[in-house]
This record gives sequence, structure tokens and C-alpha cells, in this order.
Amino acid sequence: MSRKFLETESPTWVEKGIITAEQQQRLLGLYPPDEKAIGLLPILGSLLVGLSALSLVAANWQGLPEFLRLAILLSALAGSYTAGEHFLRRGNTSLGIGLVGLGLILFGASIILVSQMYQLIGYDVTGLVAWSVAATGLTYLYRSRALFIMTVVISCIVQGYNTGQLGAFSYATAAFTAFTLGYYWWRNPDALLGMVLSVGLLWQAGLLVNYLHIKITWFFVGAMLIYTLGDWQTDRPAGRALQSPPIAAAFLFMLGLAVFGEAGSYTDILRPPLLAYLAALGAVFALSLVAKRKRGRLGGATDWLLLLPGFYLPGGLPLAIAALVVLYAYTGTLLWRAHQEQNPDRVTLGTVLFILTTAVAYFKLTWGFMDKSLFFLLGGVLLLGLSWYLQRRAARTLAASESTEKPRS
Amino acid sequence: MATPLPQNHRRWMLLLVAAQMLFLLAVAAAGYATTAYGRVVTLRTLPIDPRDLLYGDYVRLNYTISQVPTSLWQESVLPRRRQAVYVVLRPAGEAYEAVRVYAQEPTELPTDQIVLRGWIEDRYRRSLHIRYNLERYYVPEGKSKELERKGRKHPMLVHVSIAPWGQARITDAQVLP
Repeated sequence: MSRKFLETESPTWVEKGIITAEQQQRLLGLYPPDEKAIGLLPILGSLLVGLSALSLVAANWQGLPEFLRLAILLSALAGSYTAGEHFLRRGNTSLGIGLVGLGLILFGASIILVSQMYQLIGYDVTGLVAWSVAATGLTYLYRSRALFIMTVVISCIVQGYNTGQLGAFSYATAAFTAFTLGYYWWRNPDALLGMVLSVGLLWQAGLLVNYLHIKITWFFVGAMLIYTLGDWQTDRPAGRALQSPPIAAAFLFMLGLAVFGEAGSYTDILRPPLLAYLAALGAVFALSLVAKRKRGRLGGATDWLLLLPGFYLPGGLPLAIAALVVLYAYTGTLLWRAHQEQNPDRVTLGTVLFILTTAVAYFKLTWGFMDKSLFFLLGGVLLLGLSWYLQRRAARTLAASESTEKPRS
Repeated sequence: MATPLPQNHRRWMLLLVAAQMLFLLAVAAAGYATTAYGRVVTLRTLPIDPRDLLYGDYVRLNYTISQVPTSLWQESVLPRRRQAVYVVLRPAGEAYEAVRVYAQEPTELPTDQIVLRGWIEDRYRRSLHIRYNLERYYVPEGKSKELERKGRKHPMLVHVSIAPWGQARITDAQVLP
């Protein structure tokens, strides 16, 4: 409840005799007004002064002697960290963390500028790895969500630069990010951070697969390893958040196979050696199952239906149909479980995915055989009917869940 | 921020900031030291494309020693991609040229020769493509005007300082007519 809400609403409550004026004051006392240490105008003013200094330096950067450039970078770095610390101690959290974040960005920029000054860039990847190490250190020191997200983004940038520009994958960066940030998230479970971390790690896994020139389906072994970490997490919302990006990636991949699988021209980049792939994926699956059993969520194992390796079937129609079967198996069980658990959010998600799969299936299987107008008419009717039926079921489920909850409340 | 800062937060923060500043100073020091203690060799590039400057503040350099004949390779087994190699350079006219390529750093060398470290980028039947991590030249302002004025592609002479510990950096470059 915000103070503003209390301030506007509480006079009415006093009028109606719900609370007394004294109680109103005590309630307001529970929500002290935010400390507004700095007005807007001084901030804007200092921003303008800062920008003018920045443009002055940038315009003359090449002409400045090297030691002066170095001194400017170092003092800007130290200055923003000091200012950040100062505001944090005064209780101005967002400005403080913002300035610490600025210091972190300045560190990265300084690494690049100093290396350019001495024509050292491209020598090796250490410089930028130091950036992500510093970011991780700050995350642990300030325990800030904003810094955590910055750290994930920075290590994604560092890895992207390594593979794109230097043609090397920094295993150190990847492992360091996975372990330090993974551990942080493990100890401080959080849904948003789980999602961000998961996307960041998927990006690194994708870069690695691309760098090693191995079959792209190996990506899912890494992705499901991240998913399995979510199974072991005791905080369920945080675990779910970590798991949704890998599942979304697997779903989109299968959807892509269902739509474009017929071409068959790229099926040779999909098939790793069967035994090795199945063994690796099976090992991750076993780990995931053990965790699900321990946490009493074996029903969630249906997520793994998306990982059925239908792509080993020959290219063309069999491949597309296999992908559709996998998609239907997944969305069907998702819907069924959502109705069983009477979880409205998942009913909606399941409905959307099921209709999407049906649309793809219909498009895939009938486009070639039917007159176009009949195709669209039947498709429309099919989708309308399906969504009507699913909506009705959803409504019934929700009504049932409300009636079962009522006696309790 | 809900969680309170740890007890010795300030000490750790000081350490972390100091480490970052030291790191930057170390990068700068490495740059200085490579020039101060290094031996300068001149390398010739293939014609470079001044249009690179439209997209960034550096040009991509392709040296005459970026592509060496496989016959210079001194080992029995051909190198793998991304393997580190040691290229022995010898002055030949205005610039240095590659004379031998080793998998291990050679110890005894005539005084007029010097080793430059590189990495195998690609291998073809007759030649090895080697990357030295000297392929980017951040062009100072004065020089970029000169490059743009010349307009078309020109080769460059690049001065590279090679430190005794193997690090190398570009110290200067001139555009050939």
C-alpha cells in the first residue's frame, strides 16, 4: 500500500467512522514519505554541466596527452563510485546504485579506450573478462537487482565480442558467469533475476554452439541443464522463471521445424550422433526427474515432451508431422495439467499454445490439398470452435476452483 | 535495496575500485613497457581499404606475413586451426618478411632475426593464414585525413614493437604512396 493511496483514501474512512483520526495518523506513520534528498532541477543542471564536460573531452580526446586521458578516465571512474557510495549512505538508493552502475560502465569504456590508446585491443580477451568480473563483484557487494541484470548483460556483450570480433569463445567468462551469478540467484531466489540469468546463459550456450560449429540441437542439452537447475530450486516462482526461457526456446524450435521442416535442406545441421546426444540429454533428464521427485512435482516432467528428438526422422513431411506430434503432446498435457491444477494463468497459456499449434498443423497439412477460400473458411471455423470450447472449459474450471475455495474463506 | 550492506562493505568496495583502477594502469603500463623494452620491426601490409573508416575508427590490416607458404613450416605435422605458432622474421628491404614458422618458440636466433607470435587462422594446401592480433589499427585523427585524401587503396608500412616477453603492439604507421 502506498502512502499516496492512504493520504487520499483515509479521510473518507475517518468520515465514515471506519477508523478514528488518531488511527489514521498512526497508519500514515507506518509509511513515511520517501526521502527526497535531491530536487529535479539540480539533477538536470548537473546533467547539463556533465554533458558539456563530456563533449569537451570527447572533441579533444585525440589531442590530449596520454597521461591526461588516463587521468580523466581514472578520476571519472573513482568519482562515480564515490558519489554512488555517498548517496547510498544517505539512503538515496536508486541514485546511488545508478551511479555505481555508471562507474561500472565507465570501467568497461576505459578498458576499451586505454587498449585503443596503446593499440592493444584484440591482443586477448582478458581485458573484457575483467569487466564482467568487476560487475560480479559489485553485484555481490551491493546485493542489487539492477547490478545483477547489468552483470548478465555485460557478460553477454563480452562473450558476443569475443566470438564475433576475436573469433574465440571465453570459457572462463561463461563458467564464471554461470557459477557466480547462478550461486547468487540460488541463495537469493527471484523470478525476474531467474528469467534474466536464464536468457543470458542461453545466449552464451548459443554462441558456444555456433563457435564450435556443432549441430545446433546440442544447444538444448545446455538449455535443459539450466531448466534442471530450476527444478532443484526450492523457491517455486524463481525456479519457474528460470525454466521458462529454455522451454520457450524448445517450443519455438519445434514450431519452426513444423513450419519449415519440409524443406529438408538444413536437416543435416540438426542431427548429432544419436547415441551421444540421447545419452547427454538422458543424463540431464534423469537429473531433472530426481529433482522433480524430491520436490513432489513429477507432473512437471511433461515439459520434457518438447525435447523428443523428432528431428531424427527424414526431412520432409515425416519431420513436420513428428514436430507437430511433439507440439501437440506438450500443449495437450500442459492444458490438461492446468485444468487439473485449476491454475488460470496456465490455462490461458495452454489455450494460446494449443491454438497456435493447431493453426500451424492445419496450415501445414491442408494448404496443398484444398482450394484457398475453403482452406481459410475451414481454418477459421476450426479455430473459432476450438477457442470456444477451450474458453468454456477454462470458465468451468475457474468456477469449480472458486466454489471449492469458498467454504474455506 | 532490502538487504543491509555487509559489515565490511566499505573495505571491500575500496578494494574493488582500487583493483579496477590498477587494472587500467596495468593495461597502460603494458603498452608503455612494450614500446620501451621492445624491438621495433617494420611490416608491410597489403593495400588497405580506407572505407573501413566509414564504419569505425580503425582499419583492418592484412600483412604480407599474414599469408605464408606452407614450406616455411618447420614441424612434421601440419598445424591445427587456432594453434599458436612462432614466426621468425628477417629484414628484407624496407620491411621484415617471414623466413620460418615453428610450433615451439625457437631459442637460438641470429641477431638480425626476431620472433613474432601468431595463431593459425586457416590452412590451405600451399599457404598458412596467420593472425597476429595486430590486424586492427586505430587511426589517429591526422592520419585518417591523410588516408581519406589518398582515397584509393594503398599499402602501409606499420611499425610494430615486440617486447622480449612476446607482446607486440603497433607504435606507428605510414601510408605508402
